[in-house]
Amino acid sequence: MIRRNNLCVDVAWHSINHAGEQLCGDHVELVAEDENSTAVVLADGLGSGVKASILSTLTAKILSTMVANGMKPEDAVETIAATLPVCSVRGVAYSTFTVIRIVNNQRAEIIQYDNPRVIHVRDGVPQELPVTKARIAEKDIYFSDVILAENDVFIAMSDGVEHAGVGLTYNFGWCRDDITDFILPYVKAGYTAKGLSTVLVEECNSLYEGKPGDDATVCTVRIRQREPMNVIIGPPSDRNDCGKMLSLFFAKEGKRIVCGGSTSNMVAEYLKKPLHPVLDFPDPEIPPIAELEGVDLVTEGVITINRVLEYAKDYLDQNQKYAVWSVRDDGASRIARMLFEEATDINFFVGRAVNPAHQNPNLPIHFNIKMRLVDELATCLGKMGKHIKVSYF
Amino acid sequence: MKITVCIGSSCHLKGSRSVVEQLQNLIASNGLKDQVELAGTFCMGKCQTGVNVTVDGAEYSVSPDTVDSFFRDQVLKPLGK
Repeated sequence: MIRRNNLCVDVAWHSINHAGEQLCGDHVELVAEDENSTAVVLADGLGSGVKASILSTLTAKILSTMVANGMKPEDAVETIAATLPVCSVRGVAYSTFTVIRIVNNQRAEIIQYDNPRVIHVRDGVPQELPVTKARIAEKDIYFSDVILAENDVFIAMSDGVEHAGVGLTYNFGWCRDDITDFILPYVKAGYTAKGLSTVLVEECNSLYEGKPGDDATVCTVRIRQREPMNVIIGPPSDRNDCGKMLSLFFAKEGKRIVCGGSTSNMVAEYLKKPLHPVLDFPDPEIPPIAELEGVDLVTEGVITINRVLEYAKDYLDQNQKYAVWSVRDDGASRIARMLFEEATDINFFVGRAVNPAHQNPNLPIHFNIKMRLVDELATCLGKMGKHIKVSYF
Repeated sequence: MKITVCIGSSCHLKGSRSVVEQLQNLIASNGLKDQVELAGTFCMGKCQTGVNVTVDGAEYSVSPDTVDSFFRDQVLKPLGK
């Protein structure tokens, strides 16, 4: 595939539920059409709880699938109107939605129906999206088409965000201009899509004084340069393959992370550079990192990766450990920042050598655990929207 | 004199952090910063005997509970303190 530019998308979202509800009435669905095209839908179902959740899930699934397959938006919207079950209480079938479709990493097509208008920030300045209105299935639908630039940020949200603080902090809720003013410094500071979605929703939650009067969801799309990252963990099962594994590792573009004691010794030997472990313990449970000229980070193996996996799972769930790994300097936090925030394309070089030193039954680490950790981490990173390639040696 | 402590996965689990911190404190409190260099190394391949420590190449097995006696016998004595 010919890549026309070096841009890619960073998409993430975060939600809070109406106080007392276990289900969120908002739903976000992401579909990758191919490597360079993505469609994301944020749908907000009428009401809250189960009914809202069903409406928004159906809407988001149907819309994202149809749009991603190149169906005309008019047809997709008509399908939604004809498909949604009608609410017995209110007599209407209703879910508002926002669709952001990134085409070839060059254009954004935005379709909006009744959600708060998408906030578009370019080079730190809020933009007015050019819109065309169309009436489809008795609904006013707004279409926009934007040529993308690096650092463009699109923020879609459900009305629960604008209603934050009604009657509490603000008389008339959190208006769109105030939301824009609030998020702008974070956009300028280079926060990721996940970071921006999380700070906005957390602020919302505090405006609701911890008891949201509605489901609130923020979905952010950020256009950025590709950033390849390479991770090597474990020596190859056949020692004779060291040279091959390492020359492939060093042939790749992007930053390099070396995980594991024996692995770092192997890399240091290959580079003919001294390995200097740093005797600091910013996190008492995580072994120290080391310095090695020619690579960007050297860490211990299983204990560190185990912690990175813990952070990755939390990132995809409540994102509460962000406060820890975003600032600390231990190996696991550094890997988390490099993989979750910086990287867009990650190549794993996994060696299958069995470390004889780890075959002690008294130690809670062994070969299978290492393989499982890497598999799980790769899966989590895939869910974060990263392009992952794993090679075994 | 150079003391090297293994900080590989296995020795880490056996308490190399505590060994490193105790040695850092002992070196400082005995005023030996100019004479003793403390370094770390990744896996020495002798995980069974961890925490592995070398003093100018000679190998010792140390645990967080034996750091004091190790320091007295293998560091202070050879330095004539």
